[in-house]
Amino acid sequence: MSYIDELVSALGKEKVLLDPSERFVYGADWSPRTPDEFVPPDVVVLPRTTRDIQRIIKIAYAHEIPVTAGGGLTGMLGGAVPIYGGIYVDTTTMNSVIEIDSKNQTVRVQAGATLQEINDAVQPYDLWLPHQPESKWVSTIGSAIACDNDSTFGVRYGKILSCLLSAEIVTGTGEILELGHRKAHFTSSGYKLKDLLAGSEGTLGVITEATLKLEPIPAVRRVDMLVFPRMGAAVDYLSRLLKAGLCIEAAHINCRQRLKFYTHSYKQKFGKDPEIPAWAEALLAIAFAGDQEVVDTQRNYAIKVAKEFEAQLVEEREIVDAWWASKYTLDFEPFKQKWPDSQKQKKFGAADPGVPVGRLEEFYHKFIQVAEKHNLEIIGMNAYLEHPNSIGFSLSCAVFVDYRSSDEVKRFRAFHDELSKLAVAFEGTMSTFMSDTYQKAPYLELEHGASLKYMKEVKRIFDPKGILNPGKKFLKEERRR
Amino acid sequence: MNSLEEFKDELETCFGTSCGFCERGCPVYQTMKVKTLSMKGRNRTMLGLIQGKFEITPAVVQAAFECTLCGNCDRWCSLKNTEHTRAFREYLLKHGIEPMKEHSSLLASIKNYGNPWFQPRSARNRWTRGLNIPKAAPGKQDVIFFAGCTSAVTKQLNRSLVASAKLLQKAGVNFATMGQDEPCCGSTLLRVGQTGAFKELSAENVKKFESFGVKRIVTACPGCYTTLKKMMEDAGSKIEVTHISKEIAHLVRDGRLKLNKSTERMTYHDPCHLGRLGGVFEEPREIVRATATFVEMPNNRYESRCCGAGAGLQSAFPKLSRDLAAKRVSEAKATGATTIVTSCPFCETQLRTVPGIKVADLMELLLDATDGNGKNNDTKRAS
Repeated sequence: MSYIDELVSALGKEKVLLDPSERFVYGADWSPRTPDEFVPPDVVVLPRTTRDIQRIIKIAYAHEIPVTAGGGLTGMLGGAVPIYGGIYVDTTTMNSVIEIDSKNQTVRVQAGATLQEINDAVQPYDLWLPHQPESKWVSTIGSAIACDNDSTFGVRYGKILSCLLSAEIVTGTGEILELGHRKAHFTSSGYKLKDLLAGSEGTLGVITEATLKLEPIPAVRRVDMLVFPRMGAAVDYLSRLLKAGLCIEAAHINCRQRLKFYTHSYKQKFGKDPEIPAWAEALLAIAFAGDQEVVDTQRNYAIKVAKEFEAQLVEEREIVDAWWASKYTLDFEPFKQKWPDSQKQKKFGAADPGVPVGRLEEFYHKFIQVAEKHNLEIIGMNAYLEHPNSIGFSLSCAVFVDYRSSDEVKRFRAFHDELSKLAVAFEGTMSTFMSDTYQKAPYLELEHGASLKYMKEVKRIFDPKGILNPGKKFLKEERRR
Repeated sequence: MNSLEEFKDELETCFGTSCGFCERGCPVYQTMKVKTLSMKGRNRTMLGLIQGKFEITPAVVQAAFECTLCGNCDRWCSLKNTEHTRAFREYLLKHGIEPMKEHSSLLASIKNYGNPWFQPRSARNRWTRGLNIPKAAPGKQDVIFFAGCTSAVTKQLNRSLVASAKLLQKAGVNFATMGQDEPCCGSTLLRVGQTGAFKELSAENVKKFESFGVKRIVTACPGCYTTLKKMMEDAGSKIEVTHISKEIAHLVRDGRLKLNKSTERMTYHDPCHLGRLGGVFEEPREIVRATATFVEMPNNRYESRCCGAGAGLQSAFPKLSRDLAAKRVSEAKATGATTIVTSCPFCETQLRTVPGIKVADLMELLLDATDGNGKNNDTKRAS
């Protein structure tokens, strides 16, 4: 009996998709890959329960078939696309909200629930899950954990690990494990294996359920934008606000080029790009949230302090609102959503390094040099503060990529790799929100050195046959050695 | 109307973007949870097909036709997604795919009877009995009231047309109907991919309407509304096409009708063709607010969820179609409403298939609430 026959027998034929057109649909995400690199899965499965996933993995284990699990397929670096065929597990069919404990401010969900579905479910309790990437309508909680993606509100609430209390996974042998501390908000017990899941890209197990910490919905939010003569000045300013004791909800520094990518609705309304002062090199979008009086006090103080940093408040609300719509509310004029318009010809491609705070400007200039060297059209850079109440940021160094041109995709890869390696040379990290995927696998040792061996051992414990998302994080050949 | 190949750049853009924002409001995807049935997946299927990545298979045909063309995906996107799907269906038919057997019978009926319901042409005029409505003649009227086949030939839906006509009379509109000569608007042909037949019919229809010398065509059917509107605009005609709710709402707004307002909680379901695709949102709400205690469903206006009846889904995929109706009714019930008001014969029929809530036509609701009609809208039209 072939593994596909076994899947049909175990799940029922309605949960197994084999048609070439169906497999084609599940083979791509947002990452720039040439048509030649496109390898659709051999079979797509639509599980409904953890038991279904256990059945799938046991069959895959017995036949040594690759298993790649995915959610909304909005990844920007190919983390959830299969590169060796095999079984694609679509977890979006598992999107139930299992339990809301409003007193404890927690929710238990199946891993395929989108971030928006979770928020729709908990909103009546005046609670929300503040982990909010731009893809929140489509990005699932399982993917958010496995990719360790970014969040608009990271500077107040942190990244996904800050709200992940516990997760159920099915390992590469088909064992069901609960990792974490149930509904307790933190623990000092045992090794924190749950933390291994953040950015694991489904290489340790398929995440099937998660318990998440929620936060009370703030009554009021105020978003402003300030322009600075230098990116470094914006960083210094934020550092000063944190020292002053302000509780910032969102802080995003954009280079001036990047603003254009995020002001689609402004252009729709006024037929031109928003104008910012010619001297401005950095735009800081900053939000405060809470009770009106608290927000007003914090905002007023922040604006007062801004003068010390040669900053200027953007008075034209349409610019701020356009940017915020793009980043968070996604409230665009009907039939004029931003993405297709900005990507008519090319894909958005990015490197996501992390560098020491004081070297942001230096790295920005390197980004421009490297993009120009590889002859790529620059979208720009932004830095999102993503560590609770502290100055640490993720970086998005973005360019346009024509995915139909093998040469341009090749140049994009060289650009990505060069910036990733440079970040390590800057005493930073190669990834802050996209993880490693196949892209960084060949040179992961550069960042992790001897500890890479321990990572591989961890992988072997969870997935001894290496069937889970092969080729991601570690090269396939290496892993099997 | 563009062919599928002409949309290639848009399909590439969707493939390149991959945002999937269309999935959230897609009633079919949210029920089936199969990505090939979301717009992002369907765009990919079209792209793969014209790139020669795979052949036409039953799964490809299913991806093309398992969609109500409700336009929810277009609300979140600047691409012409529903147009892609229409072109996809046309492409399949051109490439030798037989129309779905359920659709074939609809098409045969349109050809023979001028409606997809196998009803004789004479049935089109039954609803006007006793109303003393003149038949359209060149130069004799300002407005043609276009009844639309579904309400005209379905006895249970006749009352909504009667209500529309009576309200037009109250408004003092100089109107006529085309009686049994009223043609098919072509909506069904267009939605199931019969573009050639639609173009032929459109040319004839435009000529007919122009020959009457009218200023406006008023219809109570949202499908007819968007189809006729586009048809007349594409032909460069000066005849305006409008929906009955827009024609009548001013009577309510100007206080020209004495209304008995009910305390019953009612919600309004935006028909896709009237709301999202036709841009008519507020007039129906004004009418419901004036006649009952209005409550809004969370998914309203542009974000309204399709009832599941449209674009051949009801005939070809009845179970899915019923599931979509059940979802919409549960959204209505969650508001505490005991009646869903709508303004589309398809939505009305479809929502009635789900027990536990009353379904009312907008014009009937208004007429029943009008002083002198002596009817209590609390108890009317129970499903």
